[in-house]
Amino acid sequence: MKAREFWILFAPSFLVMGGLLVIPLVRTIQWSFESVRYGTPGTFVGLDNFADALTDPRFGQAALFTIIVTVITTAILLVLGYVVATGIDRLTKSRPLVLGIMLVSYVLPNLVGAVAFSWLVNDNFGGIVNRFIGLITGTQVLWFTEQVPNAILIIANTVWHMLPFAMLIILAGLQGVPVELREAATIDGASPLQTHLHVIIPTIRGVLGFVTLISIMDVLRMFDNLIPLSPQAAAIGNESIMLYVYSVAFADGAQQLGLGSAINVLTILLILVMLTPFIRGIFKEAKVAR
Amino acid sequence: MSTTTKRVSALIAVAVVGAVALTGCGAGSRTGNANATEVTCDYTAPDSATTVNVLAYNSSAIDPFTDTMVSSCTKDDVTVKHDPIDFGGQVTKTTATLAGDTGTYDIIETYGFVIPGLATDEKLVPLDDLFDKYADDYGLNDISESMRQGMSYDGQLYALPMQAQMFVMAYRADVFEELGLDVPTTFPEMMEAAEAIKAAGLMEYPIALPWLATADVSTSFQATMNSLGADFVNEGGDVTLDTPEAQEALEAMMALMPYMDPQVTTFDQPTVQQQMYNGTAAMSIMFSGRMNDLTLETNSQLADTFDFAAPPKVSDEAEYAYDRLSIDGWSIPFNTKLDHDMLFVMMASAVSEDASKASVPAAYPAREGMVTAENSPYGEAANESIAAAMPPIVSPVLADITNEIRPILVEVLTGSTTVEDGMARMQAAAEAIAG
Repeated sequence: MKAREFWILFAPSFLVMGGLLVIPLVRTIQWSFESVRYGTPGTFVGLDNFADALTDPRFGQAALFTIIVTVITTAILLVLGYVVATGIDRLTKSRPLVLGIMLVSYVLPNLVGAVAFSWLVNDNFGGIVNRFIGLITGTQVLWFTEQVPNAILIIANTVWHMLPFAMLIILAGLQGVPVELREAATIDGASPLQTHLHVIIPTIRGVLGFVTLISIMDVLRMFDNLIPLSPQAAAIGNESIMLYVYSVAFADGAQQLGLGSAINVLTILLILVMLTPFIRGIFKEAKVAR
Repeated sequence: MSTTTKRVSALIAVAVVGAVALTGCGAGSRTGNANATEVTCDYTAPDSATTVNVLAYNSSAIDPFTDTMVSSCTKDDVTVKHDPIDFGGQVTKTTATLAGDTGTYDIIETYGFVIPGLATDEKLVPLDDLFDKYADDYGLNDISESMRQGMSYDGQLYALPMQAQMFVMAYRADVFEELGLDVPTTFPEMMEAAEAIKAAGLMEYPIALPWLATADVSTSFQATMNSLGADFVNEGGDVTLDTPEAQEALEAMMALMPYMDPQVTTFDQPTVQQQMYNGTAAMSIMFSGRMNDLTLETNSQLADTFDFAAPPKVSDEAEYAYDRLSIDGWSIPFNTKLDHDMLFVMMASAVSEDASKASVPAAYPAREGMVTAENSPYGEAANESIAAAMPPIVSPVLADITNEIRPILVEVLTGSTTVEDGMARMQAAAEAIAG
């Protein structure tokens, strides 16, 4: 390809990436060192915003909650995604139907899905799950005002929303595992569990790494599903980092854009730290493939 | 391509198209104006095609006025545009549009609580001259004098009053009659009634109040303090969150908790409405704009069992009712580039006599004597509520204080902070704002 053709084809992507990714990122970093209100130029405040964020117990709690939910959710997504993908991989005629049904939760707007999900445990709107639990145990679970039940609700909703994605990618990986490998394992006397643990999973390690990477990034940014699922998130310690940013920078007319930007910068660093092992793994695999 | 692959592709495509269509239905729809009242809207149109952007949250009480403005004032090359938005979205967008020299909106919906702050920051256009100029044409002098005062600051009018909302108590008349209960006029009487309803085995949580940990809960705290003749600040601007009234208000709120759903701090007004629809609560206190919904048979089979009354006082000794009077109106942002006369005429049309009449019973229009017991099922209760409300304390810092103390208030109500600790922290947080 000639240089001119390359630039003609590459320029639109370059402009879009620059406009939608680089400029906002640069502005976020700039604002994190400034005191900024809407429509007014910022004033440089050094590291004050970072100091405010890092000394605010609410930020610490939000970071802790976000990390815990991310780790648990990602683990569940990987295990459940693998199990479901393995099951679907065995289907023949009914596979398209099952896949289509499963995709519904993924293509629904997150907020809409979360509202519907919250009604499952909200007595005022039917609360079918709550009623069932009440029938069995005779107790009322406070899904929205107690930290642990609420965290379970949030994790369940996130898994419900993201499982189809994890399952689809893993399914694609499973279909790439050579049949000869499985047959060889069977001939060698490997049990089904051993085949999965020692043959299939190592073969699709890269795919699982990719699912982990995307899941971590998505869950770390969780925000809109908490609006219906955790109406008093801050009070019970179930506020995500993004919800915290929203409350200090936008909600109720708040205008601490500098503080919000500083928290975003810290979040980017957190995401990078959590993703480092997986990014390194992907680079290693790419190197080997070359 | 194999048959299976084709099927998978087709299913994925159908799912994606369906999701996009669903998203589009929710996100792109505009306020429906099919049944809007047509009124006169005579302004001098600009020479070129013009769009007037209106910011107003959607509710059954506000929509009649917004719809009238959109349908009556859109003509020739002038388009009045209003996109659906909820109250929280309006608050955020108001802050953003008023921030710089140019804004997104040309007419914004405002309410009495935020007028002092916006007026102090010179974010709104004073309307006195325009009011005088168009008063006769649009009968503006019939708009309640007290509501005009409620939308004024420092002697200047900053919003044209549209409608008011006040706390009204809705209760199950059939349950009260069956148990021989009187309509409660104080919090202790409310608790006695709730106790009787619980004892009769009719309901577990007979009282329903919107105490969601947002503006709902702080408004309720303010209403409780107002009943005792106090507010978050006094007339002199001093913070009063460590006073005996603040303590009594917090204790009074907490005393109601055993009679309400344990998750009450997650309940907004629609949820409280739902409790009434479902028959899981016998008494609720909400803003009047929510009351008409309770009377609609399409919403609940219990619609004909609801009756309305003025909200109770916190105690026998309390001076006022547990009440908040919120006046909604139209304002012109300082940074609009459009002609102020044209915008004011649009606002005046939207609150004209015909438009106001058509808004009853969904709304309580700002014009004098529009709502009565005859034309509104909750009209009498609303009028009594206005009479029983404490006159507002006007302060530009009240809105900010309300936001700042909210998390602490929720901690007190959920029992994670003691009343004394909470009061001390709220006082300190509010003093940091009041200076």
